[in-house]
Amino acid sequence: MITDSRRTTWTHALGRRRRALYLSSPIGLGHAQRDVALADELRTLHPDLEIDWLAQHPVTAVLESRDERIHPLSAELASESAHIAAESAGHDLNAFQAIRRMDEILLANFMVFHDVVTDGEYDLVIGDESWDVDHYWHENPELKRTAFAWLTDFVGWLPMPEGGEREAYLTADYNAEMIEHVERFPRIRDRAIFVGEPDDIVPDAFGPGMPLIRDWTERHFAFSGYVTGFDPAPLIEGREDLRRELGYRPDQRVVIVTVGGSGVGEALLRLVIASYPDAARRVNGLRMIAVAGPRIDPSTLGAQPGVEIRPFVPSLYRHLAACDLAVVQGGLTTTMELAAARRPFLYFPLRNHFEQNRHVRYRLDRYGAGRCMDYATSTPEVIAEAIAAEIDRPIDYRPVETDGAARAAALIAPLL
Amino acid sequence: MVPAPDAVLASRPPGTSSGTGHGSREQHRARYPDITGFVERDGVRVFYEVYGSGEPTILLLPTWSIIHSRLWKLQIPDLARRSRVLTFDPRGNGRSDRPVSVDAYAETEFAADALAVMDATRTERAVIVSLSLGAQRALLLAADHPERVAGAVFIGPALPIAPPITARAQIKGFTEPLESDAGWAKYNSHYWRRDFRGFLEFFFGECFSEDHSTKPTDDAVAWGLETDPESLILTELAPGLTSRDEVLDLCARTRCPVLVIHGREDRIRPHAHGEELARATGGTLMTIEGAGHIPNVRDPVRVNLAIRDFVNALAGGGA
Repeated sequence: MITDSRRTTWTHALGRRRRALYLSSPIGLGHAQRDVALADELRTLHPDLEIDWLAQHPVTAVLESRDERIHPLSAELASESAHIAAESAGHDLNAFQAIRRMDEILLANFMVFHDVVTDGEYDLVIGDESWDVDHYWHENPELKRTAFAWLTDFVGWLPMPEGGEREAYLTADYNAEMIEHVERFPRIRDRAIFVGEPDDIVPDAFGPGMPLIRDWTERHFAFSGYVTGFDPAPLIEGREDLRRELGYRPDQRVVIVTVGGSGVGEALLRLVIASYPDAARRVNGLRMIAVAGPRIDPSTLGAQPGVEIRPFVPSLYRHLAACDLAVVQGGLTTTMELAAARRPFLYFPLRNHFEQNRHVRYRLDRYGAGRCMDYATSTPEVIAEAIAAEIDRPIDYRPVETDGAARAAALIAPLL
Repeated sequence: MVPAPDAVLASRPPGTSSGTGHGSREQHRARYPDITGFVERDGVRVFYEVYGSGEPTILLLPTWSIIHSRLWKLQIPDLARRSRVLTFDPRGNGRSDRPVSVDAYAETEFAADALAVMDATRTERAVIVSLSLGAQRALLLAADHPERVAGAVFIGPALPIAPPITARAQIKGFTEPLESDAGWAKYNSHYWRRDFRGFLEFFFGECFSEDHSTKPTDDAVAWGLETDPESLILTELAPGLTSRDEVLDLCARTRCPVLVIHGREDRIRPHAHGEELARATGGTLMTIEGAGHIPNVRDPVRVNLAIRDFVNALAGGGA
């Protein structure tokens, strides 16, 4: 922020509005939705609360549509999503190594954040997987000058088999550093919230000879339940109306294929589109809609007669709630939207992505939701077969919590 | 008055390579240079980058050619938000040439490269920041070209100004075959030719002696593999600052403000080196307890804030 150093203002403490700075991770599209839901709940509890967002694309797109206050220094943040896209190849993203190789970007963004909180008179920083703030405040505890609420939907870096012994060593070392940080400086995370329930936590240890992730997380976190960011009940109850509104005829069986907003996922889109002719022979009235997202050129996807390719679908979650089956990546947000909306779905975790293959899969198994597919062995025929088998599957998922945002806000509100 | 650039300005888009250096799979950067180019002196091409536009200019000097300018990757994006930042790859690594004569790696050549880069980028004056061996070229610049140096930050300076670490001093004969490869005996030309990676892993393991330093170590080893043992052997044999008196003379002639940052647990150059340099230059000493040899990588927040404060104080003091 440009300021004239010859003019300064200081406000009496009791004359100040409550102010929070909210950081919402731009990795994946899901954080924005849950974070604005949480922000709304916090404003209900503290009507005078003013929230600034330090955010980047694609989170800013969601914030702008709601006229949220985006801090001007947001423009100086280095792009995390561009880095993640650069780290992925085909249907492969080693998420641990990608975060590890993001050290330069995380540090650069922490320094921007540091300037924002130094000048901002904030009471509270809310960090939804803001790895930079959590790490560097633990490394530089004297720089912390506000309360800090930390949110995450997974705890623990886990190695993938292809990474071998080296990756197992590295993930354990990263976990050990995090544990040392948190145990030495409990004053950094004034409130740590696990977005989920204890039963969502994988049964693994942090590494050889280290604590079980679940035990440790139960000692150091509070639990909000899952935060969907929308109420699925009206969508489930009004599904026939929703289908009419979206133009899905009763005799159509609508399959939506989507890979989220990043460039990662083009290979999966192409593969699923190629399965359409076979799937259409097996399922009467099959209509396939492939959502390419803003970063994928639809002309590269191998058009098939009968498949509609759309660059962008507003309020995608409503389409997902209305469809007969969805085919998606293994990211937490979209799969949990489908679980909440009680729709059948196939999900393909990105190869070498520890969060999608381990944490998310474990959680979905607990809800009994979706069918996990292996990209490497899924031919178009395998996918067509799975679509036909799953599309009429009776839904017996464990219901997804609907009060997660309110619970998280109630945990954070006392800090303000 | 800034001399007209006599160097070749060869701007190229970020991420492209002249064929050497900066690895085939460099990780995505937080910020890419606004201008890149080469300066050429005596047939040796040196690659430089320019970031940002604010005042003053900060020149992040190369250190020993065992690594290149990515060494500063945690400083560049932060400092370039306010200042113009220059970096260049040392001869022998990165996108700079690998000359094959010993004399091409003399300390005076690195100092002359720095001046050539400043000329090519029309930089009259800069705050210079150095790490380890970079202290030698920094000191030459500060003492001999005071009009070009507004201030100097030395991190873990490597100067013959205090006794070396004992384990290292006990190993003699860089070019003689040794019977052992244990520890500092790896600091030997025969071992470098036999197992260059083994040397890099040992050396950077000593540099990053702090726990949880796998990423900095991996980065540095990868940058080290962008040069080769023969080039690095030449740097070791080339003339540099060798006597304490010579260094003290340079310190006495250094008039600009000086900040020395030194880790207490430095296993490459003992903390006493930093203390002595700060004393001899009348500079400020910032000790980082628990830190090893490369705190700008291992403690980047603290070091960046210290550089910012140093630069701000220069501006405030009318330097």
